[in-house]
Amino acid sequence: MALVELTDISKHYRVGDQQIVALDRVSLNIESGEFLAIIGPSGSGKSTLMHLLGCLDTPTSGRLVIDGVDVSKATNDQLAAMRNTRIGFVFQSFNLLPKFDVLRNVELPMVYAGVPGRVRRERALEAIERVDLTHRVHNNPLQLSGGQCQRVAIARALVNRPKIIFADEPTGNLDSHTGEAILSLFRDLSEAGSTIVIVTHDNSIAARLPRRIEMRDGRIRLGAEAAVSNTAPLIGRPAGEGAA
Amino acid sequence: MNFWLGLLIGLKEISAHKFRSFLTMLGVILGVASLLSMFALTEGIAVGMRERLEANGGVERVSIDPKDPSQEVQEIAFLSPGRTMLDVEALERGAPLVDLVVPESYQSAALSRLNLTERVRVTGTVPNFMESGKFEIEHGRMLCQLDLDHSHRVVVLGATVVEELWPQEDEGFNPVGEVVSINHIPFTVVGTFPFFESDSAKRRREAGITEANRERANRRGHRRSSRHYDPFSRKNNAVVIPISTMFYDFKSAQNADGSPNYKLDQLAVRVLDLHRFEDSLEQVRTVLNRTHRGIDDFGFDTREEWFENIESSVRATRISGSLIAGISLLVGGIGITNIMLASITERIREIGVRRAIGARQRDIFVQIVVESAVIGVIGGLLGLLTSLGVLKFLVLISPAENAPVITLTAVSIAFGFAVAIGILSGLYPAFKASRLDPIEALRWG
Repeated sequence: MALVELTDISKHYRVGDQQIVALDRVSLNIESGEFLAIIGPSGSGKSTLMHLLGCLDTPTSGRLVIDGVDVSKATNDQLAAMRNTRIGFVFQSFNLLPKFDVLRNVELPMVYAGVPGRVRRERALEAIERVDLTHRVHNNPLQLSGGQCQRVAIARALVNRPKIIFADEPTGNLDSHTGEAILSLFRDLSEAGSTIVIVTHDNSIAARLPRRIEMRDGRIRLGAEAAVSNTAPLIGRPAGEGAA
Repeated sequence: MNFWLGLLIGLKEISAHKFRSFLTMLGVILGVASLLSMFALTEGIAVGMRERLEANGGVERVSIDPKDPSQEVQEIAFLSPGRTMLDVEALERGAPLVDLVVPESYQSAALSRLNLTERVRVTGTVPNFMESGKFEIEHGRMLCQLDLDHSHRVVVLGATVVEELWPQEDEGFNPVGEVVSINHIPFTVVGTFPFFESDSAKRRREAGITEANRERANRRGHRRSSRHYDPFSRKNNAVVIPISTMFYDFKSAQNADGSPNYKLDQLAVRVLDLHRFEDSLEQVRTVLNRTHRGIDDFGFDTREEWFENIESSVRATRISGSLIAGISLLVGGIGITNIMLASITERIREIGVRRAIGARQRDIFVQIVVESAVIGVIGGLLGLLTSLGVLKFLVLISPAENAPVITLTAVSIAFGFAVAIGILSGLYPAFKASRLDPIEALRWG
């Protein structure tokens, strides 16, 4: 069974009198251990798709099963629990809490999971080590560079050992060199077995992932997947070459 | 979410905006300070009043006062002998619901020893006087029945009187056995009373505040003026002789026509059982109706009314004070709500992040409520400190009779209100924050 199963998922919004169809009967499977990109221009529905996959929202219709749990009709608290323990988020703007140091930021998801203090600290330090920031444990996010912030965010996403990590334009706020480093960090994680979904509008990034899903007008563009499936070997190459 | 973590976040939030938080707390601080100060002041007043009441014999003491007889018997009012020793005997025999029937007869007299003369009010009474008036004996003894039966010329003196007649002697001087003269009749001192003072006066004296000197001056110079208002000074100025001696030596030809005056100046009884207060009064009334030949020329002055007056005036002050303090607390609460609303608007993104990584709505709710409760708690504590300062200041600028009394109840009520206000004023902002849509919140700013 696939880790994520979307069946005929639709999402409609009401803005004033207008009904907006953000997703139109989307079906998709994501297997455990996959490393995939969701691309598409703004307004294509890729953000909506990520919000649904990330359990931040529920679909208007259709069935969404993540890790065996049907979340299409889940309550707020169930969604929160899903986000907490099975899903990790990495945002474009890092979204760290500036009042807390690196350690506390990474500990935060475990706080909501009710992990006892000492275990929390241990696991947080472990995750920080994985992103190679052990020397910055007690720094404030404001004292860190963008790349370091994103590493902290990744550590935070990892710390509850989620089934799947969603990264929304993770390199969008970084220079190309730092972005590259972050991307290779994701690749390392993927090789270590994590399931990672990167949402981006940057083809040069998407092109280097083993699988990519292109969104257009609320639907998955057919044929797009196969076209890039053999670009996998390009992972790790500089962005410029990949786009060529 | 962990409560301690919420507390920590709240403290962090407060310390991050110290001045803003202080301004927010100010309403709570002032509210708590005024609430507690008011409680302490009224409690102080009540304690002082109760103390004075107690020194006068407590609630159980009922004094039988003369009053104008009613209209119907006014024509024959002369038939009543008034309050006499007959009443005392009749009450002792016929009114089992009361005891300590204490008659008093006063005589203004010159009390002298060697070349020292003092104008005093001599009290002729019975041994019961001591228990009824809550006196104690310092040296020697109180009057006894034998003194009464034989009309001995013996006297028991109050502490101030002793000090005045033996000005050279030290504080512990024992004048028992000395002879003093009252209106040129020699009396033997058989006992003295200790120095009585209110607790607050005692504390002031022990603290060595200048007040003690004033008190001393009072005892010497302005004795008479304060005598009726201060039961302590009255006790210290007591000159007590047997009531029979009083009649023989001073009252036997006191009336204008040269006849003896047997009337008492004061008659008091003690009610044995406060639960049967009314019954006891009724019994006394029945007995006295006989001795007074049906003329209702007496009334009861009960301390119960006095006591109730104390309670009700304290209650009234408290209610009005609480109202003012309550308004201040309410304003403080509105301030907290306002700041919390501003603070969550500032932190919409943070709330979005917390939701995204797994915080439930109720986690956010608890976090905001704990934060505002922390403001309430700190505000409450600062308010308690402020009120201590305010009370110290008040005592300093006006060392009134009654020192404010801070009770644990008052502290808990004031503090409890502060915490409750903190929690209540956080509810709405917390509700609002917990209802934020995580997607919207993440997009914010």
